[in-house]
Amino acid sequence: MAMNSNEHFEGVAMVFKHLRYALMGLVFCGSWVQANPLDYALTPKEIAPNTWVVTGLTEDFTTQNGGNIVNTAFIVTQEGVLVLDTGPSKRYGEALRQVISEVTEQPIARVYNSHHHPDHFLGNQAFADVDIYALATTIDLIKSRGEAYTENMYRMVGDWMRGTDVLLPNQIQTSGQEIIGGHSLRFMAFSGHSGAQADLVILDETTGVLFAFDLVFYDRALTTPDTPGLMQWLEDIEALSLLDFKTLVPGHGEVTSSTKPLEQMREYLKWLDQVLTDSAAQGLVATEVMRVGIPERFSSVALAAQELQRTVSHLYPNYEDAFFAESF
Amino acid sequence: MLPNLVVAQAHDSVMWDYTRKMFLGDALYQFDDRIRVSLPEFAEDSMQVPVSVDASAIDESIVKMITWADYNPIQHIFTYHPEPGMLPQVSITFKVQQSTPVRAAVLTESGQWLVGSGYVSAAGGGCTLPSESRMNDDWQSSLGQIRAGRFSSTDQPGADRYKFRIMHPMDSGLVANIPSFYLEQVELRSANGDLQVRLELSPAVSENPSISFDLLSSDQNYQLWVRDNDGNEFQRAL
Ligand SMILES: [Zn+2]
Repeated sequence: MAMNSNEHFEGVAMVFKHLRYALMGLVFCGSWVQANPLDYALTPKEIAPNTWVVTGLTEDFTTQNGGNIVNTAFIVTQEGVLVLDTGPSKRYGEALRQVISEVTEQPIARVYNSHHHPDHFLGNQAFADVDIYALATTIDLIKSRGEAYTENMYRMVGDWMRGTDVLLPNQIQTSGQEIIGGHSLRFMAFSGHSGAQADLVILDETTGVLFAFDLVFYDRALTTPDTPGLMQWLEDIEALSLLDFKTLVPGHGEVTSSTKPLEQMREYLKWLDQVLTDSAAQGLVATEVMRVGIPERFSSVALAAQELQRTVSHLYPNYEDAFFAESF
Repeated sequence: MLPNLVVAQAHDSVMWDYTRKMFLGDALYQFDDRIRVSLPEFAEDSMQVPVSVDASAIDESIVKMITWADYNPIQHIFTYHPEPGMLPQVSITFKVQQSTPVRAAVLTESGQWLVGSGYVSAAGGGCTLPSESRMNDDWQSSLGQIRAGRFSSTDQPGADRYKFRIMHPMDSGLVANIPSFYLEQVELRSANGDLQVRLELSPAVSENPSISFDLLSSDQNYQLWVRDNDGNEFQRAL
């Protein structure tokens, strides 16, 4: 198959063909886009008494979904509303505040940012008039990486981000028990997803709702850019499964009243660790590990193949090191 | 059958003409999908992008393999010169500046140039960001340290894979006030001193790069020798 002018023309024809389809897509989508100008259309669902969750899509960030891929929640108490995570953009934060005001006349009492990833705190600007709580490590991480995350989000979801800036949490949340507005809340710090003591988990002992945030992904592949190690994460999952809860709210994926998400996390973490260990033992290179097949039992886990590629780039060098010798 | 290749070609025939002249001059060449260029779909870390080139489906020995990334400011990644017994399979980590086709041009013993292509999407910045070791000061103490492993291949009987990581900042020279400082020569010799592999690296190769090649020989006593553009030499037995 020699390179000749014919082939050039074929290449150009291909590009035109794709362009045509792209333009057709624009025509079809045009009217829809105008009817719904960047509307997140958030629909909160009451999952326990006075406890509402806005469930995001189990997708990656795109210009279509505007970063609405994350679960946010709020608890309506006698002393005001507690908001748990604020979403990926100022626009999302405003939409969230709007739907909260449609559910209750209570003012917003406090906002919590569960960890430093952009889809969990970039809606903070909509809550600039109230105290925003986060773990001390989380505040430091947002301080050092918030700007880069924001830039990256503009690149990935585009116009939905307009006006979004980093607004740092202004209050440090520590571990322990607190009673707020008649709800007995247990605040815990874990490490598996975000790094040392940087994952906030909240158990509402009054309603039995466990807000696991990104320590738990359900039917959506877990993400590993900041994990200190899959075994650390597994330990955290074991700790969560000892808690007494009725309803589990994951950071990404559906709310359930079962322990299935924890079992899936446990199985998935073990599988990932095994794949990386076995591959390193066999001397596979990263590009080979990235293409390892996802077992059938994880067929319900969205984005598993894509996240495996990312995980290999985050974690595989450490697994390789374990099988390098100083000399033979 | 050739989605990557067609996409890579169609995306940038202009750059292709430019870069192929840079590396192949006016030599005749053919695209050949038996040369597999494996990359992640998206460069999660644009400073550390793994690429593997496998030309073992070609039914003759190869003399040379040149790889490059069309849209990198420093296009060249590595050039590989295998001796008999070496398999034409090389993996390395490199930096990408933006989404780019990656090419592997192989010169066969009969004098043909065959070209394989891959494509990696990237948010970018890899070549113009300072290496991580420039941000702390302890790189000098680990400079040239080599960690290595030998693994027997499961799908190619008799073949061994040699994989190593060598500590080096691999400064591209594109970051202000940091001159280029990179590993440029890698050689693998057997116990009697015979050259087995020669690899020329460019500053587009990642900091602390991981490199692997596959050998058919059963020789157990290889010596790895690496030199940077400052004349520092590093070696160890594999
Ligand atoms: Zn997260």
